[in-house]
Amino acid sequence: MTSTPFDTVAAKGRAQSSTRVRTTDMKAVGEPNLWAFGGALAFGCVMILGFLLLVFWNGVTTFWPKPLIVVTQADGARVAGEPFRAEAFRPGPEVLATLDPATRKVIADDGGLASRSLYRIGNYDIYNEDFRWVSDFSVTDTATPSGMMFIERLEWGPFIGRIQGVTIDDQERPALVGDRAGLAAAHDAARARWRQIRHIERNLIGDINHRLESERLAVRRIAIRQGEGTPEHTAALQRFAETEKVLQAEYAKLAADAQALKAEDARTRITLAEIGGAEKTINLSSVVRMYPANDLDLMGKLAVYASRWWEFVSDEPREANTEGGVLPAIFGTFVMTLLLVVVVAPFGVITALYLREYAKQGRLVAIVRISVNNLAGVPSIVYGVFGLGFFAYVLGGSIDGLFFPERLPNPTFGTGGILWASLTLALLTVPVVIVATEEALAAVPRSMREGSLACGASKWQTIRNIVLPRAMPGIMTGVILAMARGAGEVAPLMLVGVVKLAPELPLDGYFPFFHLERSFMHLGFHIFDVGFQSRNSEAGKPMVFVTTLLLIGLIFIMNISAIVIRNRLKRKFAGSQF
Amino acid sequence: MAATDPAASPPAASIPRRRKDTRRSVLIADKVADWTITIGGLFVIIAVFGIMAFLAQVVVPLFTGGHVQDRADYAVARSEAGTLTVSTDEYRTIGVKVGPSGTVIAFHLPTGRALEPLAFDFGDVPVTGFGRTLKREDVAFGFADGSIRFGRMRMATQVLPADQLPAGLTRLNDRDLTDGRIIWSRIPGNQVRKVTPELSLEAPQKVAEDGSAIIALDYRLGGTSERPTKAFVAVDAAGVARIGTSETRTNMLTRQSRTETRTATLPALPAGTKVKTVLMTEKADQIYVGDMGGIIHRFDTRDFERPTLAESVDLLGADEELTSLYFLIGEVSLVVGGSKGTTDVYFRLQRPGARSSDGFTLVRAHQLDPQTAAVTAIGASQRTKMFVTGDAAGNVWLRHSTSEQTMLKLAAAGGKAVVSALITPRDDGIVAVDSDGRVHLWRIDVPHPETTLGTIFGKVWYEGYSEPTFTWQSSSGTDSFEPKLSLVPLIFGTLKATIYSLLFAVPIALLAAIYTSEFVNRGVRAVVKPTMEMMASLPSVVLGFIAALILAPIVETWLSAVLLAFFAIPLSLFAAAHLWQLLPGDTARRFGGLPKLVLIFAAVAFGMLVCFWFGRTFEQLLFGGNFKAWVNGDIGSGRPFMFLVLLPVSFIVAMVGFERVAGHRFLELQRSVGGAGAGLLDLVRWVALLVLGAVIAFLVAQLLTSSGFDPRGGVVDTYVQRNTLVVAFAMGFAVIPIIYTIAEDALNAVPEHLRAASLACGATPWQTAISVILPTAASGVFAGVMVGMGRAVGETMIVVMAAGNTPILDWNIFNGLRALSANIAVELPEAVKNDTLYRTLFLAALTLFVMTFVINTVAEIIRQRFRRRAVQL
Repeated sequence: MTSTPFDTVAAKGRAQSSTRVRTTDMKAVGEPNLWAFGGALAFGCVMILGFLLLVFWNGVTTFWPKPLIVVTQADGARVAGEPFRAEAFRPGPEVLATLDPATRKVIADDGGLASRSLYRIGNYDIYNEDFRWVSDFSVTDTATPSGMMFIERLEWGPFIGRIQGVTIDDQERPALVGDRAGLAAAHDAARARWRQIRHIERNLIGDINHRLESERLAVRRIAIRQGEGTPEHTAALQRFAETEKVLQAEYAKLAADAQALKAEDARTRITLAEIGGAEKTINLSSVVRMYPANDLDLMGKLAVYASRWWEFVSDEPREANTEGGVLPAIFGTFVMTLLLVVVVAPFGVITALYLREYAKQGRLVAIVRISVNNLAGVPSIVYGVFGLGFFAYVLGGSIDGLFFPERLPNPTFGTGGILWASLTLALLTVPVVIVATEEALAAVPRSMREGSLACGASKWQTIRNIVLPRAMPGIMTGVILAMARGAGEVAPLMLVGVVKLAPELPLDGYFPFFHLERSFMHLGFHIFDVGFQSRNSEAGKPMVFVTTLLLIGLIFIMNISAIVIRNRLKRKFAGSQF
Repeated sequence: MAATDPAASPPAASIPRRRKDTRRSVLIADKVADWTITIGGLFVIIAVFGIMAFLAQVVVPLFTGGHVQDRADYAVARSEAGTLTVSTDEYRTIGVKVGPSGTVIAFHLPTGRALEPLAFDFGDVPVTGFGRTLKREDVAFGFADGSIRFGRMRMATQVLPADQLPAGLTRLNDRDLTDGRIIWSRIPGNQVRKVTPELSLEAPQKVAEDGSAIIALDYRLGGTSERPTKAFVAVDAAGVARIGTSETRTNMLTRQSRTETRTATLPALPAGTKVKTVLMTEKADQIYVGDMGGIIHRFDTRDFERPTLAESVDLLGADEELTSLYFLIGEVSLVVGGSKGTTDVYFRLQRPGARSSDGFTLVRAHQLDPQTAAVTAIGASQRTKMFVTGDAAGNVWLRHSTSEQTMLKLAAAGGKAVVSALITPRDDGIVAVDSDGRVHLWRIDVPHPETTLGTIFGKVWYEGYSEPTFTWQSSSGTDSFEPKLSLVPLIFGTLKATIYSLLFAVPIALLAAIYTSEFVNRGVRAVVKPTMEMMASLPSVVLGFIAALILAPIVETWLSAVLLAFFAIPLSLFAAAHLWQLLPGDTARRFGGLPKLVLIFAAVAFGMLVCFWFGRTFEQLLFGGNFKAWVNGDIGSGRPFMFLVLLPVSFIVAMVGFERVAGHRFLELQRSVGGAGAGLLDLVRWVALLVLGAVIAFLVAQLLTSSGFDPRGGVVDTYVQRNTLVVAFAMGFAVIPIIYTIAEDALNAVPEHLRAASLACGATPWQTAISVILPTAASGVFAGVMVGMGRAVGETMIVVMAAGNTPILDWNIFNGLRALSANIAVELPEAVKNDTLYRTLFLAALTLFVMTFVINTVAEIIRQRFRRRAVQL
């Protein structure tokens, strides 16, 4: 199959010397080799398309409500759940021993393999598992009975079963069990109350805590500045005691309000029964969403689908991040990327300008250019290590010592945070911007610069009015590519401030509004965390797929917008050629 | 003229008024821009290089040994000339020196000022033997009348608020105050620490009934606080060694305690043994009796009632005497000091053929720099494998057993023999007492005694390991655990991941690049290239997640199909190509564009389908129906695997052989037939060669197997779900687009005239691509491979998630690995700032940085050379 060029040339020479044949030798065409080469290309394309399809399909279908199947097994046990996936497995000898000879023969004929299906059975509080494998040979009956409910709860994952009874204000209301509209109304009311409780506990009481903490810190600051026991300190302590009293009173009132609401909330309950008959009574307000999975029409399914997506992009995570939404992660990713651009764009452009327009083009600049190029290839984790060691510990530690001594030994800037994460990623992505900008600057014709200078413009005027505008498409592309790279990077973030669950967003209503020192959540890390560190990676998988879809979508949008912007600006300047 | 005048006159009028000098603001803006850009540009460049400098700066302290912060020496008032032992508290406040007659001098350690004297009351019986625990809190004395007494010297430490400081104290130094008995130290946070020396002594216990003096003894405390156990070993002047334990049980209800004592006599020591030291391990299961001549008798006391002499080994040369012997922390390693300065570390290892009764033997694991005079004192650290040795010439050396380095070589002023030496409990000071009773104190800072370049990149013999190994194990549950920080398994892991992923990615990327650049039209290229490049922007966390949670289980289930794919897809492509050759020439040409590419896709898909259909049959046929059992070595022989590996090789051999033997004749034959007939001939030849190759492969495999060769245990071995195969595939997504893009660009950059000239000379596109374009672009293509390699080396999330993270040295493709990058990501968040692990991880980052920097620089230089050459062409 392989032939050296010498062979072919020699063969050709012989062919020409004897009788001249116009047809090409098969070996010279190398058809099988071409197919192997093309096959590599096809394989690469299949890889990427298959990958995207996998992510897309799984991400898109996750929120679609699936039917609840009730499976009756040979031993009489019944399982109700969403079918998840099926696979072939090798039953062990102890399992095979319990089977009848006919089934055993079927399995033996199949090379010892049998198939089984995984059902999401929910009810973790009752079963202690979320998923259950059901061997196909043990199934005697499957059905999708009407009335089966899929109930998403605040705790313990979903409940799969039937509604047994509804209690509103301690009154049993059997009529509501079958009345979907009525139940929905009661549910909405309960949820509204729940949200009110959450508002009091989180926002109002959180506000008091925040004020208390800042007062305490103010006292400590005075103690550090003026010394303990000084008149200023004593006065501050006095003031603090008064404020504390006021705030405590406010707190007591709010806590009482919340308590009252909670008591009211506990009077509205729903009783559920799983397929085996075990009952469970929970507060109606702790039901996030419920739907009769087997009775939904298309519109109903669409409504559930849409409401799940809405929850996903607009709510906070619950159940150790495996349920609920990813709003904090989206927000964290967004703010971090924004900060990244704010830092990386000017510095990258300035460096490129320096290298291309200001520095003397000599050996040194050539070396610097090679180095900058190579820095794009330095592993991201190395930047993470640097970020942790330099930004967080050295810089952050000094900032803490200078400006936040009252909070020590708790670090403020002296640990990972969104500012350090952005700076680390800025360092990581600055070569991308430098290289792109340099290329764009190099592409601006020399004649234009000379023309501008000849007209009397200064160097800076030339750069600002002639060079930069024309280089803009390239620069924008570089910046957007840097953003895309930054948004998808996770490894360095694990070292400089990303957390699985951030209690506070980096942006809120308290002065100075932008809290650059706070740790944050990130879509990429969310994928890692849910996929690898949750109670049950199977339960988290659907969530990971949706998050993946979101992240990849975000990055592709950025990449595509880079291409679009480049093309647009190119067209804009295409006319002004001279 | 008149018409032009009005138009011309306004400018003419404005010319005189126009100022020729540039506006100030423009000049200022220009200057500001100049400076901003220059400073900014230089700043970024410096910042970028600062990374390497910063990493190096964090790493350097790992290798700098230690230094002395300050030193002091003094004679303590009222102290006895002889010294049995010294000890200090955790904060280097009080030193305590015990003399042979039971005097206990407590003194302020930094200044040497004596506190009120204390004493153990021995009742005028002379002390003839002495033993202590590693922490030096518990001591045992042996007396001339054959009795022993246990004692305790504690430094009670209490932290109090500053306002509880009593008045009327004497100032000792900036920190400390005393009332003559107790020392108070001011500590940050407005608090004081109160340190009180406390002594207690138990009643004597008659051990040697015949009343011969106890010349050596050792003593250990164990058990829980409710049931403390005490174990001792004592050797008397007659050479009889006795062991005893006492266990005290306290009844929780009655509060009465009951003490059970058991004693036994060790087997008699050989005649003429002059016992120097006797040591007992923490669990009292081994007794070491050191003879003056350097022979160590090891007794196995696991069965306390029936102790046996396990072995007697001569640890020192014939003309060297044993001068000191003590344990290191953990009481497994034994430091042996000799009269000629020998300082060796031994530990007990299980060795086949050991000449001992229990199968263990003492092995010299570390040979440290010999001291210049007889080693007279050994003091072990309470935290690490560090220890000090003092010699007869007054030298005090600070050493580390595992790393075999000597961090500090100190000399006690006066040059008198050191009789007792210790490392303070926090490893921050050395105290030595010389034969005149003078105390020498050094305040030291030795942050990383356990690391040298040798321990990080070389084999290290860790305690309890049967030989020196490369090991990475940074943490464990127990206190006496010694972190094992060798970067070698991690570098190996990185290389393993890189090599396997490049084996997968490079062929695909290069072949695809050549095909895209040379054999598809512009329209197809405009679609295909961005598609492949899209792969590059996939976040690696996503790749890792898919690889670990989706791909790994699928590969495990469909393992046989995956293996078959390596053969089925190429075969399907070649078969399709040969079928394509059956088409008449003009048809082939007409459909040579997009339809052919579609068919190629179909052939790949067909190959995959074949794998799906016949995977299980394939497994049944070659691997006894269970590949995992086969790979584990449970079933079958190495033959089928060898056959598969040899198949491509032997096919190529068959091909070349045919070409040599009948290539020309076959060409003539094809020519004479022409058209579709030639295609048919080619197909027949291909099938025949394939069969021939298979036969050769089978025979060679048979031969290798019968000669005892088995690939299992090497590159294939036990299957683990998260393995290198999965990593290599996932890494393909990250590496393929990079190599592909750079290689494709390089091929495209080959000047068009070369291509045109080659084609015009009658070369086919295939010949042009292989013989003209590829050699010209070779350096650019190679640069692409290098850049891809750089990416594979540094890739983090994929290896964190999909590689299983086991730091082992093993080429098995079905096993996992731990890469440098993954290790940093996993361990750095938990590392304590500036401790050894933290710095070692920085060294890992620096290693990674240097590795990728070198790879990328080489690639960049090659690429620039290529560019210059391409321009010249």
